[in-house]
Amino acid sequence: MNNKIYILFIAFGLILLASCEKDTPQYIPYEGYAYSELDEDGGNWVPVLEESGASIEIPAPEATDSQAYQNELNEVKEAMSNITSDQKRAIRYWTNNPAVRWNEIALELIAKYNIIPGPNADGTYTLPNPANPEGPPAFPFAHPPYACRALAYMSVAQFDGLISAWHHKYQYNRAAPFAVDENIEYAYEENDIPSYPSDGAVIARASKNILTAMFPLEAEYLQQMEDEHLESLMLSGGNVASDINAGTVIGDAVSETALTRASNDGMKNAQTPKAVSDSIKQAAYDRFGWAWDNLEIPERPVGLTPLFSQVTMWSIDDVESVRPIAPPGLNSQELLDDVELLKDYAQNMTDEKRRIANFWQDGLGTYTPPGHWNRIANELIVEKKLNPLQTTRTLAYMNMAIMDSGISCWDAKYYYHYPRPIQLIEGFETIAGTPNFPSYTSGHSVFSAAASEVLAYIFPEEAEQMRAWAEEAAISRVYGGIHWSFDATVGTDQGREVAQYTIDRAKADGADQ
Amino acid sequence: MKLNKRLCFYAFKKDRVLALYGFLALLFLATPLDAQTPSDALMMPSKNICVLFSYDMGTFDRYWEGSYLRSNETIATVDRNTVLPMAAIGILDDLNFYVSLPYVKTESSEPNGGKFAGARGFQDIGFALKYRAIHSDVGTGKLTALATAGFSTPFTNYLSDYRPYSIGAGAPEFSLRAIGQYELSSQFYFRASVAHLWRGYTEAERDYYYNNGSYYTAWMDVPNAWTYEAILGKWLFDTSLKLELSYTDLTSTSGDDIRAYNAAQPTNKIEFDRIGFSAQYFFKSIKGLGVVAYHNRVVNGRNVPKFSNTGFGLTYQFNVIKKQTETTDEQ
Repeated sequence: MNNKIYILFIAFGLILLASCEKDTPQYIPYEGYAYSELDEDGGNWVPVLEESGASIEIPAPEATDSQAYQNELNEVKEAMSNITSDQKRAIRYWTNNPAVRWNEIALELIAKYNIIPGPNADGTYTLPNPANPEGPPAFPFAHPPYACRALAYMSVAQFDGLISAWHHKYQYNRAAPFAVDENIEYAYEENDIPSYPSDGAVIARASKNILTAMFPLEAEYLQQMEDEHLESLMLSGGNVASDINAGTVIGDAVSETALTRASNDGMKNAQTPKAVSDSIKQAAYDRFGWAWDNLEIPERPVGLTPLFSQVTMWSIDDVESVRPIAPPGLNSQELLDDVELLKDYAQNMTDEKRRIANFWQDGLGTYTPPGHWNRIANELIVEKKLNPLQTTRTLAYMNMAIMDSGISCWDAKYYYHYPRPIQLIEGFETIAGTPNFPSYTSGHSVFSAAASEVLAYIFPEEAEQMRAWAEEAAISRVYGGIHWSFDATVGTDQGREVAQYTIDRAKADGADQ
Repeated sequence: MKLNKRLCFYAFKKDRVLALYGFLALLFLATPLDAQTPSDALMMPSKNICVLFSYDMGTFDRYWEGSYLRSNETIATVDRNTVLPMAAIGILDDLNFYVSLPYVKTESSEPNGGKFAGARGFQDIGFALKYRAIHSDVGTGKLTALATAGFSTPFTNYLSDYRPYSIGAGAPEFSLRAIGQYELSSQFYFRASVAHLWRGYTEAERDYYYNNGSYYTAWMDVPNAWTYEAILGKWLFDTSLKLELSYTDLTSTSGDDIRAYNAAQPTNKIEFDRIGFSAQYFFKSIKGLGVVAYHNRVVNGRNVPKFSNTGFGLTYQFNVIKKQTETTDEQ
């Protein structure tokens, strides 16, 4: 009897545990799919940084009936006949829309490097140094401004590269190996898109180049990913070697253009010396009678990227032209009301408010709010079966708008230099971490509003949902106790306004015609 | 009289075990099971119940980030206070049932650089069954062998993904423990136990996290663990006072390290070595009443706080049948 009870108890426990096995995916669970459309005229769209789809030159391809091409076809068939299980896994992983995979790789690296440097034993802080990337601390600190910029350059390079690829594809019209040789079975859904140059190779090379510049310690890992991706392009039956080589030529060209812009966009001066930071703070105090203080122990001498506002924007000439109105004065009724609101939220925290605060927190060690919106975009892209060109167009405009909105947000943050709730409310405690920069306006609000507007433009049927999520992301910071409500509401308006400049540009790029 | 005292021990011990093992691990790393799994060699006779109530004060001002011991003024000194009600029930002389439900409160000392709110609430409800397989004279002493199966699960929707303030690991846990004890006629005894802890998943309130790679889910895998314990004890003063020295080791079988100056998370690989001392006294004047006091400290670890805790408890044991009989007699 005793033994029976005991055995039953153990059995029950084991069953319970076994039934709890969870799927914990490491990337979006999709495989190749049939594109919703092909955009044969995509080569005529207006690129972001390049002159046109024709401006990057690649050699004319050999005809499919040439001996050179037949040799390449035999190479494909030989490789496919010796395929390993790892190579099959790689083909399934990369899919026929690999820009999403490279975006996920970027998000992973952002999360890996979104680690704020801690203090040294003597109370000083050492900043990551690109000249000595190993550190410690390792370079970069992939905070939201750094993250949104990395994503923007990668997405723009991908988009420009694919416009070029589409131009040459339909200029040369060389059919894909699986279309030329019926013995070759394509790993993905067949389509009529010409295969020279390989769009996958453009994506692989451009992404690897941009991410290697942004995350120099990951060069080896990124090279491995590129090698695996390029190999899978051939093994899928979709490309011969000359398709892939031409794609990498374009990938190199667009990433060079993007990285040239990046090296001169002002980001290298965004993290200022203390003297500059102090003068910015003093100017705000002189102007408004308040200034934000870092309350960490030991105090951080400089806030995060005080001159991110001076980084070159994608779609706006003058960052001050989109600067929001001044926040409420320290003695205003509006601020007093907000103090009461935040106290009330903190004292009466509900499960739902806590869930929202945590869901959108995207803090240290995560892919940041810009990363969160890239993840949302990736999921929509796959759901709507966008082709690679539409995919990179979506990600490029979204990340341009996110970066512009971030630059505008940082302009407001350091121009107004408004204190955080923990600075103005005695004894106030939060459930989210207070970041190392001024309060007004909320970065989450601005990033999210900008991202949601671009996604609403690309996916009109999702507009309501996107905007609702952006507003939830904005208010999440108020629930978390680290932002005033006007930081969130004004920030949302700011992000929407800034995004409109990029959306106007998108509407004129030829894709909507 | 002597019997009663010993009975209560179980309960005490249980209580203490909770405190000892549990608090620490629970705090940051998820060891509710430990806490709720009786690991001593004592059994309550059938139809006896012992209720326990203890208060535990834990604190740390440093923690291991991987293997690096650091302080962090963002959280300063973190206090963790726990109230633990528990009951031990003698189903059969060789089969006992335990149930417990700790209430935990955490907060940082002032001043701190993070200004984070602490957390509080009921943690995990724990159940355990302990079975005594061997209880016989060997040589001049007595050998006892037991096995315990335990299960615990979060009682409230507290957030486990809020280190270091989380009140628990937020995951169900199933444990199996084997216990062996040998007590000499001089009332010195040595006890050792080994247990495996199967931990389930805990649900975060975000659907992305980094654990040596991206995870697109709110579910975090809380690593399983092995734990070992060795205890040297002695009864004094006509079996009314019991003193114990303990050593405990816990090692996760998987998991990641806390990243530099970053918050811990439930997926971390935790390890610790802890030493402890406890004293339990059973009053001769008040039948069934006992007190317990203990202190433990973590001496080495990985991804855990350098935690020390001190606790006090009361136990009261009674015989259910006997009480009813007495009541009837009075009428």
